[in-house]
Amino acid sequence: MLSQWLRCCLLLLLVTWLPWVHAEEAPLKAVATFSILGDMVKAVGGERIQLTTLVGADSDGHVYQPTSADAKTVAQADILFVNGLGFEGWLERLVEASGYKGKVVTATEGITGLPLADGDNHGGVDPHAWQNLANAKTYIQNITRALQDADPVGSAVYAINRDTYLQQLAALEQQLAETIGKLPEDRRSVVTSHDAFGYFAAAYQLKFLAPQGINTETEATAKDVAALIEQIRAEKITAVFVENMVSPRLLEQIAAESGATVGGTLYADALSPADGVAGTYLAMMKHNIETLYQALAAK
Amino acid sequence: MVNPPAISFHDLTLGYGKHAVLRHLEASVPRGALLAVVGANGTGKSTLLKALMGELKPMSGSIHLQGFGWRDLAYLPQRVALEQNFPMDVHDCVAMGLWRQVGVFGGVSPAQEHKITDALATVGMGGMQHSTLSRLSGGQMQRVLFARLLLQDAPVILLDEPFNAIDTNTTLDLLKLIQHWHQQGRTVLTVLHDWGLVRQYFPATLWLTDGQAVYGNTAKVLGQQSERWVA
Amino acid sequence: MLYDLLFAPFADYVFMQRALVGTWAMALGATPFGVFLLLRRMSLVGDAMAHAILPGIAVGYLLAGLSLTAMTLGGLVVGMVVAVLTSMVTRLTRLPEDASLAAFYLVSLALGVLIISSKGSSVDLVHVLFGSVLALNNAALLLVASIATLSMLTLAVLYRPLVLECFDSAYCRSVSTFGVWTPVVFLVMVVLNLVGGFHALGTLMAVGIMILPAVVARLWTQQLGTMLALAVTVAMLCSWLGLLMSFHFDLPSGPTIILSLGGMYILSALFALRPQRGKVDSVRQFLQ
Repeated sequence: MLSQWLRCCLLLLLVTWLPWVHAEEAPLKAVATFSILGDMVKAVGGERIQLTTLVGADSDGHVYQPTSADAKTVAQADILFVNGLGFEGWLERLVEASGYKGKVVTATEGITGLPLADGDNHGGVDPHAWQNLANAKTYIQNITRALQDADPVGSAVYAINRDTYLQQLAALEQQLAETIGKLPEDRRSVVTSHDAFGYFAAAYQLKFLAPQGINTETEATAKDVAALIEQIRAEKITAVFVENMVSPRLLEQIAAESGATVGGTLYADALSPADGVAGTYLAMMKHNIETLYQALAAK
Repeated sequence: MVNPPAISFHDLTLGYGKHAVLRHLEASVPRGALLAVVGANGTGKSTLLKALMGELKPMSGSIHLQGFGWRDLAYLPQRVALEQNFPMDVHDCVAMGLWRQVGVFGGVSPAQEHKITDALATVGMGGMQHSTLSRLSGGQMQRVLFARLLLQDAPVILLDEPFNAIDTNTTLDLLKLIQHWHQQGRTVLTVLHDWGLVRQYFPATLWLTDGQAVYGNTAKVLGQQSERWVA
Repeated sequence: MLYDLLFAPFADYVFMQRALVGTWAMALGATPFGVFLLLRRMSLVGDAMAHAILPGIAVGYLLAGLSLTAMTLGGLVVGMVVAVLTSMVTRLTRLPEDASLAAFYLVSLALGVLIISSKGSSVDLVHVLFGSVLALNNAALLLVASIATLSMLTLAVLYRPLVLECFDSAYCRSVSTFGVWTPVVFLVMVVLNLVGGFHALGTLMAVGIMILPAVVARLWTQQLGTMLALAVTVAMLCSWLGLLMSFHFDLPSGPTIILSLGGMYILSALFALRPQRGKVDSVRQFLQ
């Protein structure tokens, strides 16, 4: 009889204690604003975090409209990762609305933003810092530090993940430099529908021309389109690229009229779905550079 | 009756949705009759004309047109649905009466043009062929609409409140035209509110009230009622 | 010099020529129906319809991808459903027609937004569904041109019934069987022009080029034939002007075309309001 009673007590204790224990070891609830950032956070955080991304694959982070589910997600988050540099114009209001009082980690901290080519929105700074692999290192460092502060128990794990990733990054950088190096000087001009490759252009000595400003909301003017056609003709650009979020129709028209061909899809602001060609940040950068190379190197 | 019936109503009940407006009407209108349809608002006068035109299906009972088809009916609806600001001139409006002959594509022959001019002269609008409709007064517009009816040359004519808000001169002129139609042997049904006019110009009356209908010789139907039915 | 200003942009650039052809096709197809919409006092219906057909187009896209047929059909079906529901509710309840239409089109619009956002990549869908006058590919041009041809044919055949039905619908029904289904065909053509216009030129352009030229023409003439011709001419002229402005002054092209039309409207209205002989007193009274 006593043993039965004892068993009951133990069971009860176990049942009430288990959630506690679980709570201690529950993964960190991390929220990242968009897919590229989310991918990096997951790479460092691994199993120790539970990641939610607000703006998913193939979606535009510039004009994103947060839903009430997003507000809930942010409210329940332990840590929030943002790009910064003016990318998430909608973030301030979301954080306010959700009542989130936790840490907001700016992944681009320490990165000097490049000025915008057109200078219309974002207070003049180009937010697409991730397009330069060198900047990605800073992203990873910032993410790791933040995770280590939030979850000191996992510091070692985060450090290991960071180092692994940095190695992969270095390897990719090497590969990219070699590939680009093979391109002749006069074949480094590219047209794409989204002006998001400022950092890429600066880092790898390519020239990107676009018919629209950075923000996908601005409409094209006839003058812009005509100027671009002229430029393509003048600089004998052979390839035009379609970005994975903006309407390809305008670009196809420009290509048809200027004699260039549509070279493929470049990924600027978002990853492709996980099973696509640009499911992770590293895959995305690799895909972009290979697509560019193939189109530019071909006759 | 002297004349064979032109229109007969058999236990006719009319209404909208589930709401019956006119109940169990039993009457026979002889050919060549000049009939006034009177009654308070909501008693189903316009509804009756619409049912005759086939726009409304009876809830129960039936309407028979003896020796006439739908094509032999000329209908002047109430003026509510008319867009007088429409950019059209008098000539084209009247020409609409020739629809049955001319159709969607046909042209208007010189003989038909003559008829248009004659019709306008008859209603006292001679020479106004090219005036825009929006410049016409209420009375002038009504005359034009009667000219349109003239062109239809129909054996049965239905008029729904043709004298609402029309000046006396026009009313009297148009009543003369109606009498002329009567003399030509056409069957004319007119919905109106002015009992004075009814007594003076309409030999037969159909009086609709809530629940019952009285039909017959005007003097008998309107009988002792001396006040004008202003509804 | 004048050539450079007025004609060179079109001569030099194919995309400008296409833009002009596209807008002129809309002018020939949609604008005449806009005139009739105006005369039937249904100008805002055009705009409401434009919003109402959004879920139809979205569903068409979701079910069959980038198939113009699917999207057009979807838009048409929803447009007709909204029109029918509106008249049903108007007939069976105490609500006036504009109230029912407002209710239905708002619901429809919200549904459209829901459907589009459920797909995830919202911007992608919007850009796919709604075109831009500078990005007219062959498919889009073919679409507007076909719709324009169909519209002109319909108008040629149904001109008289349409006029009669607009002017005096009760009488029209009494003399002709056309009276019953002319309004249906009319509505179908309006929706068709809107759907085609959206896909080729975007929402602003489609509705604007349908209604505004009609409003301008109304201020100048009292004859239907002249009104139709004038509306189409104004639409074509302002498309040309708007495209030139977009080219020379670096402005977005859809809005410039609509603003040209708007400018025409203001000028016409001012001209129509000018004090006339014998009417000076009434103007003074009005100002007091």
